[in-house]
Amino acid sequence: MLALFTQPIDAARMIAVPKIDWLAIGPPVVLFTAALAIVLLASLLRGRSLQHDLDDWVVLCAFAGPIEFWLGRFSAIRYNHDVFSIIVMLAGIGSVAFAMGVSIVRKHTFAASLVIALAGVISAVAITVAQWNVVRTSGSFTSMAGAVAVDGMAVFVMGVVLVATVFGLLLGTSWIRREQLEGPEFLALLLLCATGMLVMASANDLIVVFVALEVFSIALYVMTAFDRHRIESQEAGLKYFLLGAFSSAIFLYGVALTYGATGSTNLVTIRESLTGLVGGDNGLLMVGFALMLVGLGFKVAAAPFHMWTPDVYQGAPTPVTAFMAGATKVAAFGALLRIFVGSFDLLQTDWRPAVYGLAIVSMIVGSVAAIVQTDVKRMLAYSSIAHAGYVLIGVQVATESNGGLGGTSAALFYLGIYMLMAVGAFAVIQVVGRARETDSSLDDYKGLARKEPVLAGLLTLFLLAQAGVPLTAGFVAKLTVFKAAVDAGQFQIALIGMLSATVAAFVYLRIVLSMYSGDEHGSATPVEGNRLTVDLPVRITISLTAALVLLFGVVPGWLLDVAEHATSILAG
Amino acid sequence: MLGAQLLVAENAFFYVIAAVMAYGAIRVVTTNNIVHAALYLVVVLAGGAAQYLLLGQEFVAWVQVIVYIGAVIVLFLFGIMLTRAPMKAEEKLTNDLRGAALIPTGLLAAILATLCLDAFSDKTVDLVSPIRTKAVTSAIFRGYLVPFEVVGVLLLGALIGAVVLARRD
Repeated sequence: MLALFTQPIDAARMIAVPKIDWLAIGPPVVLFTAALAIVLLASLLRGRSLQHDLDDWVVLCAFAGPIEFWLGRFSAIRYNHDVFSIIVMLAGIGSVAFAMGVSIVRKHTFAASLVIALAGVISAVAITVAQWNVVRTSGSFTSMAGAVAVDGMAVFVMGVVLVATVFGLLLGTSWIRREQLEGPEFLALLLLCATGMLVMASANDLIVVFVALEVFSIALYVMTAFDRHRIESQEAGLKYFLLGAFSSAIFLYGVALTYGATGSTNLVTIRESLTGLVGGDNGLLMVGFALMLVGLGFKVAAAPFHMWTPDVYQGAPTPVTAFMAGATKVAAFGALLRIFVGSFDLLQTDWRPAVYGLAIVSMIVGSVAAIVQTDVKRMLAYSSIAHAGYVLIGVQVATESNGGLGGTSAALFYLGIYMLMAVGAFAVIQVVGRARETDSSLDDYKGLARKEPVLAGLLTLFLLAQAGVPLTAGFVAKLTVFKAAVDAGQFQIALIGMLSATVAAFVYLRIVLSMYSGDEHGSATPVEGNRLTVDLPVRITISLTAALVLLFGVVPGWLLDVAEHATSILAG
Repeated sequence: MLGAQLLVAENAFFYVIAAVMAYGAIRVVTTNNIVHAALYLVVVLAGGAAQYLLLGQEFVAWVQVIVYIGAVIVLFLFGIMLTRAPMKAEEKLTNDLRGAALIPTGLLAAILATLCLDAFSDKTVDLVSPIRTKAVTSAIFRGYLVPFEVVGVLLLGALIGAVVLARRD
């Protein structure tokens, strides 16, 4: 029996150890580690038995040091007691410090989790910056057996997701404190969600895209249903889960059919295999990428796959909605760009009309359906559908054979700006919503300008930016998208985009009007009584997003430049 | 020709197993007992495993048995037992939309059949040198290492999510 274990391992039967490229997979690994640390911290410190064990151990160590020291000094046994006792004493001091740390962390588990989470995100940002420098100096590359692509677009999408994660953590902190919910789990789920998005941003293989999609989707389902006090949250979570699981299955079916048609799931290999297929109508491939388009269209909330969006955006806790709007869209659009613009570039005559149609339907449905809404979160949900439409304009002109890469950079720029505008607006909505998030109807915003002039002013800024008013970043974003369309000779879609933007502006102005009027009549007096509490995390989020929205509205050059350099998709 | 005889035998087995699977699949949705539905699903999944074996895909076949029959179906049965779902035959298990459901189902089946016939009818499976487990292992731990590890992240996320949602306090 023992011989079985002592036998030398046959070298021919061993699998060669794969090479790990830590730079390429660094950001998601760091975030995942942080999430794991938070889970361990939360679960270990809640266990009572461990604390007792620790106490005993600490007491033992604390006393062992001095006892040994004196024993050593006075006993007849001669040994090198100096070094030994110093070690024991240090161990004792260390244990006391550790125990104090444990008790502090135990009291402030949530704060400690937040510190870990922020440290994780900041480290991930640092690695992302390093990747950006590598990509800029020596070009994009694939690693981990072609499963991971490190290119401009991956880094850009990761950057936007990470910034959204910071905002999500801050808003989530404020919300958790207000609603008195279990904090560490929320932060861990948020980090796991962001991990999935980072993997998706750099996924160069359809299987990786699918698994990453599932990682962040499952975390989002749970976060949507996280609020146990509100039945709406539970309902939204269930709806999102059922429809989301369906759309994931559709996407997976598309992946399977594409694999059947091309013989590979690797996006670079697929691209290469398509060169021999041009002109031929391959039914398997057509249905394959149509199904993938449906699956991703669901995730980016493009009409007609938008049915879940209003309910889920409204029912989900507001920080989750903010994160969903900002980060999910950019991650899913990253995958959309990578698959369609990057891999199926040669088949653009087949998929472009579909994306063109999706863009138009999304813009119209998002703008028009928002008019009849009376709930502000719901209105912004419809507006997010319209914004998906504007990004899709960028996606469908983003083919190399069609006037350069203006479309990709326009889409990426739009996504980055939309993240800021959405997070800022939802941050204000979170504050106005108060405990249990009851106040989000249009009436609740009546007279807000009188009660909270700064908050109302900032929400006005975010809404005007979403409407695309000049001197805000939203204007530049819309301009770049429409310019990309006009450059490619697509005047019709640019015109439809402008018209729908005008309709959408009406929706935003309705919210603004509601804030600046309605108080005199005294009919609705919702924002009365004690002032709204805006705590520090929310304050940071709102001021940062507002500053950036204004900054990129006046001097958009830097971000535009970054987006233009981020258009490289796939190595080679 | 041993090869040709083998092929005939395999084809015969394929059709027998396929018929059993089809019967099982229909019974899953038509039976009035939810436990029976789960057990008919076992027939379908076992049939799938048998088909993989016929194609020489030993690893996929046993994964199918272990994961689907061993874990998923058992989970189904646990779910039925733990949630006070009715264990005996129920009249109302299928609703009035069963006729309408035939339309999308039939459409999907037609599309998939057409697609697969169109794409693969002229292809033959090389049964002489099937993909061995070693090749699958090598693919998982080298070529598909990243998705394999990310699945671990997925499971952790699902685990935390389940705890968060199920906890009562």
